[in-house]
Amino acid sequence: MKSRRGIATSLIMVPLSCLIAVPFYYIVVNTFKTQAETTQSPLGLPSRPYFGNYAAVFRDTPIVTSFLNTLYVTTLSIALMLLVGSMAAFGIILSRGRLTKALGVVLIVAFLIPGQSTLLPIYQMLVDVHLIDSLTGLVFVYGAGSIFCYFLIVGYMRTVPSEIIEAARIDGAGPFRIFWSLVLPLIRPILVTVGVFQTMWVWNDFITPNVFISSPGKQTLVLQVYTAVGQFTTNWPAFMTLSVIVLAPTVVFFIFTQRHIVSGLLKGSIKG
Amino acid sequence: MALMTSLPTKPTPHVQGRSRVGRISLDRLRERGAISLFLLPITAVLVLLFLIPLAQSVYYSFTDYDGYSANADFIGLRNYKSAFTDSSMVGSLTFTTVYAIGTTLVITVLAIPLAVILNRRFAGRGFVKSVFFFPAVPSVALLGLVWVFILNPLGSGVVNSVLHAIAGSGPVPWLSQDRLAQLSVLGVGVWAGTGWHATIYLAYLQSIPAEYYEAATIDGASPMQMFRSITLPLLTPAMTVSTLLLLTAGLKVFDLPFTLTKGGPGFATHTITQSIIENGIAQGRVGQASALAVLFLIVVGLVVLAQLFIARRLEGRYS
Repeated sequence: MKSRRGIATSLIMVPLSCLIAVPFYYIVVNTFKTQAETTQSPLGLPSRPYFGNYAAVFRDTPIVTSFLNTLYVTTLSIALMLLVGSMAAFGIILSRGRLTKALGVVLIVAFLIPGQSTLLPIYQMLVDVHLIDSLTGLVFVYGAGSIFCYFLIVGYMRTVPSEIIEAARIDGAGPFRIFWSLVLPLIRPILVTVGVFQTMWVWNDFITPNVFISSPGKQTLVLQVYTAVGQFTTNWPAFMTLSVIVLAPTVVFFIFTQRHIVSGLLKGSIKG
Repeated sequence: MALMTSLPTKPTPHVQGRSRVGRISLDRLRERGAISLFLLPITAVLVLLFLIPLAQSVYYSFTDYDGYSANADFIGLRNYKSAFTDSSMVGSLTFTTVYAIGTTLVITVLAIPLAVILNRRFAGRGFVKSVFFFPAVPSVALLGLVWVFILNPLGSGVVNSVLHAIAGSGPVPWLSQDRLAQLSVLGVGVWAGTGWHATIYLAYLQSIPAEYYEAATIDGASPMQMFRSITLPLLTPAMTVSTLLLLTAGLKVFDLPFTLTKGGPGFATHTITQSIIENGIAQGRVGQASALAVLFLIVVGLVVLAQLFIARRLEGRYS
């Protein structure tokens, strides 16, 4: 009885999920076809695997530069926001002052402010300091993510027994020493979770590079795919190849961090 | 007193510490300086990326600032008025609202049963779970661009070629007719978000004790009754979380409609975010765009507050 129901569920759910996955199948399978074959049978398997699209994409687009740009921006932004977020969490936990409490409230309010309502003044600000169309400027804008990091980290940090910190203090360790060699290693799990979650955001983000970056040499991967639509309007297989190449690192990342992505999602959402 | 403040969470008296009160309170003075140093970076982020820009947005919204000229004239509420009369802005307000409410409803209705099914044991469960979740992993913008090809009216557009093969119908203008374009954007949004939200529900489902269902089975409850009187009430917190995320993400939407349709045809799939960017940056109507940005902030804030209020009442009723 139980197992029969299990089989019925499988029989419905597995084909259904294959249907959900058709878009991914579609773009992958067409990267191995010529333009003519894609037009003829968009969903069929290639009659003979063709690798010319991959060669064309690496030849015709600055994909390596875009990859390095994305890597640079993501690494720097994540490191920065984790550092700022965990420093803030430690500061808030250590102190009991009224000012700090007020800061905590302001942080909650700031967390609710959508990026759209601060976008234009930030754009003006970056124009004024000549950080528009610059990767450093992007990192600066992503600094806003520190607030989200702070919220997740502060919740986790409260679970660290205060006795540990107290003991280190009595042993004569200063606050910076305690933060760097005691607290940071202790909160590693949450740093990984938040780091993974924020990496997905920065790596995949479209709106920020689209607004702040204009030179082709400074594009991130997603922005490059966007501009490539114009370049490859008629050459569909080449466009899909570019998409697949851009998707590949995300898939690898997903496989290794699925657990963290899900738990980051849950932690982030529970806090609301 | 110094000792009390030096204990971050639970103020448990520390015998060893107490004997060194003098030293510790000296340290505290030094520590207070250290604490400010720890809080300095986040304060800088707050001031530079939130407080100053927000104040400027509010200020610009009452002026005719164009982003270039040195002086901006105060024009009162005129920008706010035109946010409700200008056709591009009205279009974006309408579609954004439709999108936010539409995706929230459809995804919730689909994600809960999906989560209930994924909570059962069956062959291929891991595969099914990963496939449904996966569209949430890549960039939404990238998925939008890929879907442009899938929905293309030409022969190599999958949806139309399949429709042609099955029903023999001519190409459907998925992205170039107003109503269809809106539906397509919504559809792709639902496709991309359902698995992600089912994962939220699944996590909550897994925390419901199996005994509840066992007891209900003994009492002779039907599966439907169990779903209505055990599963749904216990999923209330998950629903709060999920719908709040969906509504706010829906209001902030930009990537998907922009990559699928560029906001068209006309202003059919124009979003508030797109309006803010186009008016404020490309067309130099900073004042006008800022008014929209401020309105947007108020709407998002109200949605969050309303949601939290409803959540508190609902959770109170069930617990």
